Amino acid sequence: MTTPAQELTQYASWINAMSRALDDGDSDGFRAALAAFDQSRNAEVTQQVRRVATDLQGALERFRVDSRLMELAQRQVPDARHRLAYVLRLTDDAAHRTMDLVEQCCPLADQIAEQAERLILAQHADGSAPPLRPQMLAFLKQAGTSMAAVRSNLAEVLLAQGYQDLGGQIIRGVMTLVDELEQALGELVRIAGPVGDIGGGTNVAGTTRGQGPRVPGIDHGHAVSGQQDVDALLSDLGM
Amino acid sequence: MRVQPNLNFLVVDDFSTMRRIIKNLLHDLGYANVIEADDGNTALPLLREGNVDFLITDWNMPGMPGLELLKQVRADARLAKMPVLMLTAEAKREQIVEAVQAGVSGYVIKPFTAATLKEKIDKILAARAAA
Repeated sequence: MTTPAQELTQYASWINAMSRALDDGDSDGFRAALAAFDQSRNAEVTQQVRRVATDLQGALERFRVDSRLMELAQRQVPDARHRLAYVLRLTDDAAHRTMDLVEQCCPLADQIAEQAERLILAQHADGSAPPLRPQMLAFLKQAGTSMAAVRSNLAEVLLAQGYQDLGGQIIRGVMTLVDELEQALGELVRIAGPVGDIGGGTNVAGTTRGQGPRVPGIDHGHAVSGQQDVDALLSDLGM
Repeated sequence: MRVQPNLNFLVVDDFSTMRRIIKNLLHDLGYANVIEADDGNTALPLLREGNVDFLITDWNMPGMPGLELLKQVRADARLAKMPVLMLTAEAKREQIVEAVQAGVSGYVIKPFTAATLKEKIDKILAARAAA
């Protein structure tokens, strides 16, 4: 490796040679000095590129042997997206089921309140009807009041299902992040080449810690492309 | 404010649960005519058919978001005076300012109450009646 001082000396000698050739009108000499200068610069660039390529290859190699990263890239990140989508679907189903039941209960509560009111009104309107026992009258009045409270609570239950929208928006945001992470890791895996055994001893998310509820539709069969992609990249870099 | 039961509402939200909640609340308030769309792109053709009197829209939706829908509505001569209530979880100050500048008629933050929804609808309708 040349020092900056040596580099300057080299430059000076080429420039002096070019300058002399120009003064002497020696075009062949000028071209020769210029070519020597170019060659030196190209050699330096090539050396730098080679160093970068070697570093890249080393980094990819380390990535490839790190089975935890590979496990994340190939399995757990895609799984995370599926799990989030599943949670979204579960909460959506649960919210709709709750609203189905609320919608069924509302008219029932309305009917009871209306019938109780009708009976009370009929009692008042028809003087010839046998009088209702006081407890019965009190019960009908209570039914009306209670059903109004039930109706109001059902409206609150309905409104509370808004959690699915708010939670869902947050989950969708996380899913977008996971998508981006998956793409970035996937690209690394693609250029790092095929993996051997993954999910061995370093897999902390294995069965010992439990895996939570089963999530349908998770596909563990992710294939990666071969070492040839790395070779192609190195070839593109002139290696 | 007396309810005008014949008003036609369009509720735009990408979450079917939220559309259903708003629809139920509107029914409870006495508004029976409610149609739905899941984003601005599906809402605009419905609006342009000319049968909608009141638009309630979310902001954050895939496809066309609510703010863009609002701008398109205000830019369309036939829809420009449509009451538009933004019902959204977007709670940043500058967003609310942006919605107001785009011509929103009312802004309700999620989670919301039935009373808030009623109050805002009443207020918008009262302002429209006075105009």
